[in-house]
Amino acid sequence: MSETPGIPAPPEEPPTEQASRIGVDSWVAESEGRRSRTPAALLARGWESSPDALKLLAFVAIASSVPFWMNEGDLFIFGLFTLLYAALGLGLNVVVGFAGLLDLGYVAFYGIGAYAYAELSSSQYGIHWPAEATIPIAMAAAALVGVVLGFASRRLLGDYLAIVTLFLGQAFVFFTNVANPTIAGKGFTGGANGIPQLDPLTFFGYQLTSTKQLYFFLLIVVTLLATALYFANQSRTGRAWRALREDPLAAEVMSIPVNRLKILAFVFGAAVAGLCGAIYAAIETAAVSTNFSVSVLIIIYAIVILGGFGSIAGVFVGAIVINCTFEFLEPQNDHPEVKRWLFYGTIVLLIALMKPWLKPVLVLAGTIGFGFVVHAIVAATTDASWTSGVPVSGGRWIGHWAVIPTGTHANFDNYVYIGLVVAIVCTASLKGWWRTAALVPTLYLTALAWENVLALNGGITAFVLFGAMLIGLMATRPQGLLGTARVEIV
Amino acid sequence: MHLLLFNIIDQIRSLGWNGAFNLLRDGVVLGSLYSLVALGYTMVYGILKLLNFAHGDVFMVGAFIGYGVLAQLGGPLAPALGLAPLLLVMFAVAMLGSGVLGVVIERFAYRPLRDAPRIAPLISALGVVFFLESSVQLITNSTHSEYSNFPVFGPLFTPMFSVAGNPVTVVQVLVVLTAIGLMVALMFLVYRTKLGKAMRATSFDREAASMMGIDTDRVISATFFIGSVLAGAAGVMYGLYLSDTYFFVGFLYGLKAFTAAVVGGIGSIPGAMLGGVLVGVVESYAGGYAGGQWKDIVVFGILILFLLVRPTGLLGGKAIQKV
Amino acid sequence: MDETTPEPLLELKSLSMAFGGLKVIDNLDLVVNEREIVSVIGPNGAGKTTLFNLITGIYRPDDGEILLEGKSLVGLAPHTITQRGVARTFQTLRLFLNMSVIDNVMASQYGLTKVDIVRSMLRTPGWWKEERQIRARAEKNLSFFGQRLMGYRWSQPAYSLSYANRRRLEIARAMATEPKILLLDEPAAGMNPVETHEITELIAKLREDGGYTILVIEHDMHVVEGISDRVVALDHGIKISEGSFERVATDPKVVEAYLGTKAAATK
Repeated sequence: MSETPGIPAPPEEPPTEQASRIGVDSWVAESEGRRSRTPAALLARGWESSPDALKLLAFVAIASSVPFWMNEGDLFIFGLFTLLYAALGLGLNVVVGFAGLLDLGYVAFYGIGAYAYAELSSSQYGIHWPAEATIPIAMAAAALVGVVLGFASRRLLGDYLAIVTLFLGQAFVFFTNVANPTIAGKGFTGGANGIPQLDPLTFFGYQLTSTKQLYFFLLIVVTLLATALYFANQSRTGRAWRALREDPLAAEVMSIPVNRLKILAFVFGAAVAGLCGAIYAAIETAAVSTNFSVSVLIIIYAIVILGGFGSIAGVFVGAIVINCTFEFLEPQNDHPEVKRWLFYGTIVLLIALMKPWLKPVLVLAGTIGFGFVVHAIVAATTDASWTSGVPVSGGRWIGHWAVIPTGTHANFDNYVYIGLVVAIVCTASLKGWWRTAALVPTLYLTALAWENVLALNGGITAFVLFGAMLIGLMATRPQGLLGTARVEIV
Repeated sequence: MHLLLFNIIDQIRSLGWNGAFNLLRDGVVLGSLYSLVALGYTMVYGILKLLNFAHGDVFMVGAFIGYGVLAQLGGPLAPALGLAPLLLVMFAVAMLGSGVLGVVIERFAYRPLRDAPRIAPLISALGVVFFLESSVQLITNSTHSEYSNFPVFGPLFTPMFSVAGNPVTVVQVLVVLTAIGLMVALMFLVYRTKLGKAMRATSFDREAASMMGIDTDRVISATFFIGSVLAGAAGVMYGLYLSDTYFFVGFLYGLKAFTAAVVGGIGSIPGAMLGGVLVGVVESYAGGYAGGQWKDIVVFGILILFLLVRPTGLLGGKAIQKV
Repeated sequence: MDETTPEPLLELKSLSMAFGGLKVIDNLDLVVNEREIVSVIGPNGAGKTTLFNLITGIYRPDDGEILLEGKSLVGLAPHTITQRGVARTFQTLRLFLNMSVIDNVMASQYGLTKVDIVRSMLRTPGWWKEERQIRARAEKNLSFFGQRLMGYRWSQPAYSLSYANRRRLEIARAMATEPKILLLDEPAAGMNPVETHEITELIAKLREDGGYTILVIEHDMHVVEGISDRVVALDHGIKISEGSFERVATDPKVVEAYLGTKAAATK
């Protein structure tokens, strides 16, 4: 470090026993906390101290083993789409995480990539270019729109930038769905039906058709992408992005061309999204504009935010969690028992994390008891149709615990859902043991809502959860799982 | 492109002066709704410098609460109340419900983030949008709720008077007058009461206001309450006037109301009113002359234009960057 | 300092700037010579910081010329002006708070470096070489402040630094752009007497060892007295006095600007 002549040797780090004394650096003082020995802290430290290359290697090793123990169908929805979302998240992470630009039009670039692939590798215009030509063009097309968007909004930041980019997303759907200009005697984007029957990915005559082939192809893409973006972040450009995220004006005065770097961030995000779009279109063998709606945007955002802005490893964690949650919640899911275990397991786990140890025991026992009492009362006072329902994802004992009516019971499910939201709001407003007490009915209502509403409408439930997660995460841990906490004003 | 231009000229010619008047009338009515929602955006922005994306969904929930009250009070065929008391109850419940919703949103989604990086409350707002929209989708089973299924509202759609042979219906007058009434009340509140003074002080400098003994958290809650009450009223009027209520309506109308707030100059209360009417009229003419599918894109085009060329809007002051 | 005829490095010619109707800088002429330390003093609102904002391109003057080594800076983007050799610190401290100390100093070398993002992603030999240079330059600039910004502090986030160290880091960050002229905006603001004394010595050292030309805004008259070759007093955007510290400090116009007419009359 200090081999350059003229640099004084760095001072020794002060010993930690001085930690709490006045005049000692706060960073050193806090090191006590960083040295705690709880399992979570040890895990976190182990994670932090292992080199990033090792992490990537571990991920690739585990991910490569997946196709050998997972069946084809599961590999498609859990494996393939997790990788695709990871790639999408990596691109968004450049724009939002590295450069701090709230780009709500990201999903449009994804769509542009898909449509670019669709125009050039399908029977739409009878052009059947191979993927090694189409994918770079798709990336370039998305990047070009990124340049235009970045240039137009170069003076905007924060919320105004968010609105302008959101408009791009809307304009894209409008263009593909409604405008659908006629070019060479055909609707250019195929309107609401989109463009069907795309060619499978073909590289230099080698066709990728099976899920396994696609999976490994995507794994390579994601690995290269993660490495390239990691390197990009560790360069002068990466530092300039971070500086512009911190304070655009100071960055500009410190010789950083802020506008150019903003456009560059947009272009990078757009190119990655375009790449993903092309691959996605080839996997689905169709490009349909509804697949590039705001809902997809929120999934990608949830991934990046859950993982933590600016963290590449976080994107992977986010993609795995979000995609698997999403797929498990789907009503036509092959693993109902997993679904049940996931739901009740998560709840029990969350309860178990409470301190002191007495609380989780009381809450758990209370909730179980409360459920049987309520069930008994309802069974005794109303006719059988109120309690004769079957739990959605199996588990016979749940039917004797949760009130699940059959047939229509005058908006029972709606009252349960609204009751749950109100109960959560009330519980969150209470403090201490009152909150613990309020948890019992809230948890029971959660189970009721799950069995009566949420599990039946998995697709919508996922978005309810994502919305709630974004709110909760921002309030409690805005840096996400693996991001670094940021300080705004000191 | 040429074709479109010819179509527009054709359309202008064929609709004539009467058509132009009808479009203006529709635009003003629609614009009054935008104004009411835009006020919520503008007030919250003024006080927290926060773009409350979720405000459009408060409007949507207001429309659904109004519908829920209708459905509870006897259903389509046997209304338990006469028209006037029914309307009163609908407005009261929807306004109160939306107001409470606004306060809850502020308490849980924005208050913990007062000193967080600016991107955090925006993300939180995005979360609220998805939470509310998906929740309503769950509760309504993604169906459309039509106010027009209730014959009790028939009298609202009879002409009240006519201008040069063009009818103006009762509901149109009702919407515009209610909007004007609410805005007058708001102006009184903001410029003539103690709470209004506290709100203006807080929006000018939150920290200084809190040092002067103003409970800024309460002022902010009050701001959200008032803004959401207006959105709730706008929701019910939307239901009465345009009937078709569904979970996604908040996104589109919220975005247009936001456009109105930006056009008028975000942070400015008279600006929001002016912007709302302007956006409504432009949308109406765009829809009438160029075709319905163009109206949204025209409105958003205006938004982009304003954001890029004059982000301070028509009535907003010029901001000097302090270094 | 060598005794050759001083070369004008920075020249302002009849510079004017108004916000609305208010003239903040009014027909200002100013010359800063090579390796000179010039202090700008004046009461609050005299237009000192606006002057810095004009030179660095954050504001555009309504009228007048700004020349660096005879070439005009007017109309250039701030980052270009910095690349031409003008660097500044901020009165209100605008560090990249969530970046590490050394990252702050490395980030500001953007304008000096060339390796583009594609080569960075491929980690070409050019990237390695340049990255080593950036790091060495950052370490050199941080070591300028003795022990203050050394060692384990490099990897700490900038927000964990004390106030005085943040001021030092701002100067280090500006130095890392390798400027010809440093604009320091109240470098001693908020510092205790010991730190203020240190800053005074540091500014002298900046010229002796670093070879910088320095234009400094300062309120602390001890600092101004200790460092300045020449002092310029501003009031309401007009230059009311210029010359050695003694001359300016006793100039009735300056006393009047600071204390009001009455005090000047009784003096």
